[in-house]
Amino acid sequence: MPPLAVPNGFRQAKGGDSNIVTVNVGGQIFQTTKQTLTLAGAKSLFSRVSESNSVPFIDRDPELFSIILSLLRTGNLPSKAKAFDLQDLISESQFYGVETLILNSLSNPSQFDAFNLEKSLILPLNGRDSPSAISTTPFGSVHVAHGSKITSFDWSLRRKSTILTQFPAVDSLLSISPSLAAAGATDFSGLQILDLENGSVKESLNWENVTKSSSTVQAIGSSPEFLFASFESGRRNSNSILVYDLQTLNSVMEIGQNEIYGAQIDSAIPASKLSWVSSYSLLMASGSHSGIQGVSGNVKFWDIRSGSVVWELKEKVDCFSDITVSDNLSGIFKVGVNSSEVSFADLRKMGAEDPWLCLGDKRKAVNGKKEGVGCKIESQGNQVFCSKGGDLELWSEVLMGSSKKSKDGLDDRVFRKNLMGRVKDMGGSKITNLGFGGNKMFVTRKDQQYVEVWQSSARVF
Amino acid sequence: MKPLLFLDNYHITLDCTNPYLQFHRDFRKRQGYNSHFCHRKSSSSCYCGSSSSQSLRNRQFSRYFHLMGDENSNSAPGPHHNDRIKLNVGGKLFETTLSTIQSGGSDSLLAALSNRTTHDPNPSPVFIDRDPEIFSVLLSLLRSNRLPSTSRRFSKQELADEALYYGIESHLKSAMSPPPFSGIDASVVSTIRPASEGLPSAFTAASGDGSIWIAHGGQISSYDWNLYHTATIRTHLEDITSICRVWPEIAVLGSESAAGLHFYNFSDGRHVGTTQWTDPTDTRIYKARVTAIADSQDSIFASFDCPHKENCVLVIDKSTLQIASELGRQSGNSAKHIVPGKLTWIPEKNLLVGTAVTGGAFGYSGYIRLWDARSGNVVWETSEPGSGRSSRFGDSFADVAVDTDESTLYKICSKSGDLGMADVRKLGDDPWVYLKDRNPSMRNTTSGGGEGNSVIQCYKKQVFVGRGGGLEVWSRVEGRENGVENESGEGFLHRRNYVDKVEDCERGIIMRIEGGGDRLFVSRENVEGIEVWESSHSSATVSVL
Repeated sequence: MPPLAVPNGFRQAKGGDSNIVTVNVGGQIFQTTKQTLTLAGAKSLFSRVSESNSVPFIDRDPELFSIILSLLRTGNLPSKAKAFDLQDLISESQFYGVETLILNSLSNPSQFDAFNLEKSLILPLNGRDSPSAISTTPFGSVHVAHGSKITSFDWSLRRKSTILTQFPAVDSLLSISPSLAAAGATDFSGLQILDLENGSVKESLNWENVTKSSSTVQAIGSSPEFLFASFESGRRNSNSILVYDLQTLNSVMEIGQNEIYGAQIDSAIPASKLSWVSSYSLLMASGSHSGIQGVSGNVKFWDIRSGSVVWELKEKVDCFSDITVSDNLSGIFKVGVNSSEVSFADLRKMGAEDPWLCLGDKRKAVNGKKEGVGCKIESQGNQVFCSKGGDLELWSEVLMGSSKKSKDGLDDRVFRKNLMGRVKDMGGSKITNLGFGGNKMFVTRKDQQYVEVWQSSARVF
Repeated sequence: MKPLLFLDNYHITLDCTNPYLQFHRDFRKRQGYNSHFCHRKSSSSCYCGSSSSQSLRNRQFSRYFHLMGDENSNSAPGPHHNDRIKLNVGGKLFETTLSTIQSGGSDSLLAALSNRTTHDPNPSPVFIDRDPEIFSVLLSLLRSNRLPSTSRRFSKQELADEALYYGIESHLKSAMSPPPFSGIDASVVSTIRPASEGLPSAFTAASGDGSIWIAHGGQISSYDWNLYHTATIRTHLEDITSICRVWPEIAVLGSESAAGLHFYNFSDGRHVGTTQWTDPTDTRIYKARVTAIADSQDSIFASFDCPHKENCVLVIDKSTLQIASELGRQSGNSAKHIVPGKLTWIPEKNLLVGTAVTGGAFGYSGYIRLWDARSGNVVWETSEPGSGRSSRFGDSFADVAVDTDESTLYKICSKSGDLGMADVRKLGDDPWVYLKDRNPSMRNTTSGGGEGNSVIQCYKKQVFVGRGGGLEVWSRVEGRENGVENESGEGFLHRRNYVDKVEDCERGIIMRIEGGGDRLFVSRENVEGIEVWESSHSSATVSVL
């Protein structure tokens, strides 16, 4: 908060170093303090205004300026801002160089409130392709791959742009900077770094595999420093995870190269999901495949520095349909392909033989049906979100005042679930993607050419 | 008469030798305004405005810093500066800079206001007797080069009229025009429906600014860049089957029911003349009707068809409106010799492309013929079924389009529904390259070529195909299919995508597709009006709270 300028203002005699700044915007006089203007940052137009010793004139709309000034004073948009389109305010804030203030006030990740998410917006996509992959950025812009196209929505979700890729259909998408995204497909060779502004391919990365065939991308992940890509050879008999430097895009190392000899298919399942576990500095790579004896898979935790597996989980009974890791909860969560129940494994017990603790009905694990096929699970903040068909479950930990200690000295943890949304939001087509960015959750559904946005209604501009 | 503008108790000075302002005065007279302009010598020169938003922003910054510099050099700062101007519009005060109002163009009304000289350090505001709210929208437009959301309180026409009054129409035009048209990201924004006999029989969007002329039931209606209806004229024709805009105000029409090529002047709605195909030496040449029209920089091409199917293409000189030559007179006694139903001019190659397609009980047949305009010779021709070593025997084309920018022919095959491409520079026995696409969601749609109507049109390096009611786009993207050289040997892939949604295709069979400006116009069988497709940067979110 800027300090009050009253004492200086009363004195006034000092003239030049008075704390009060007067500006004339489009014919209207505004008065504020130097402190308020410095909140706009050194790069903004305001930093120069406060240096002036006469009344500077800014040739812009005064009404919009008054909103920007309120934003500077309080950090929040005043309610009178609703008389304008958000796009007006954004372009005006870009002129003054204070767009981050609007962004912070409207789409800050710290405002994410899992218990208060409501289905609030639909982002329509042109054409007839349904979204195949989505990728979000921390401030809530979202890139949607549908067919061979990628449509990007800005953080305000007011503007979009669409590019055409070489891929027949994009299967994996990960945004790596505001204008760059890594994209790959399971039927088209190479990992491409795409410029989302003009649609050009900045870099095309390939895995030089021993079979000299094409290399398709099964999954993309990233850490603050690295970009990870899980490649499979076109003949599907070898796979590997490549680590690239996120800045230079140079290949740094190759981990977990597998080749299939004979019938040992289980030994070489390509990773279909790559998640970075920042609190342990480990890469979680998981993959599964369906065979005659049911679905089997594995989860491996890689130490990138040494290139070795720290912990490997073999999934034989009730293999995961999808799996996620939560740094805040220090655990991994899976939804079982047979049971469709959520299970939890504590990362603090890393190395345990059978770490899974089923959070739902334990008896369903062995029923042999495949109820959990297509279920998605993602974590954000202190919560875990799991889709079952068209419904969304929200899992959260209940912190108990007194709890039993289990035999290894750690607390027994309690997780409870809720169904998300109002009655009218329940059901619907099967959920195909979940993403989180800013204070929003993004949901796509099978055969629907749009993205659903869930956010706290208090934050809807 | 009441003076419109006051300046320090003088009447505003306007340079009446300026033709643009002259026009504006005329406009005001037409609109019934009382206008009164006095003359006073003005010593200021005109400034030119720039229109790119980046440069505008830079200019605004530099203007700002310039101001600061002035203040720093003048140790005694004053509140008023010579490059600032106060306006009183309808009682509301506005303050802006001269460079902002001059950015509207050197001959706008606002720029004219700024050309006054005053030595009064504290001049009273210039009074303009117009609505202040709409002025504030236009001032925002000049300042930021974008329309603020408050502009939605006014209709597009109000804004356009008011911008015309201030002489900043081109500014408004660039701010209101849609972004470059991209088939992979387009949606229907409106449907133009003429008030009566709304089934369009022909239309042209060739002017390139997004305006369109629609022929319907013997009338022609014109819609401007804003898609605002500007005029409808009734012609003497009962039906108009082809239309070409050869000059900004001149339409050339062809009709199924009346012989000849008809010229109409749109500005006064008058019939200007008719060109007939006659030949005193051949009695079979009579009552020749026009089936297709195209035009080049200096010629009009029209295909004429006689009752006994004698046909040819006449070349009409644009400067004299006389018939300059006759291309390819033929008897019309077989599918290879019928009249061309479509004419396209390729400016870069000086080639005229004529195509004819007939659909009968035994499938489609037709030809494509290329004439050299100077010599009148046929440069290349192909007919299907039959000629050349076609790899697709029995799969003759249902429609042909020419990409004039890329000098490429595209055909849509009648049975397989495939898209064939031929480079005009490398035409030969079988120049066709058949495009493959691997869009998994479109796998089962290609066979749809045989059923229903297929139409094809090229626009902005994209190929649009209407199959029945569905609209798809083939776009080019740089790259190679898994490292393998693609069909044409160049580094391009063609990607096929739907433009429309499933519900769009239920509106009717697509009859004609044409691009103009940054719009795509689509007409459908037995559907009134013409659909307008545009791309947009707006995400068009729908609230479901």
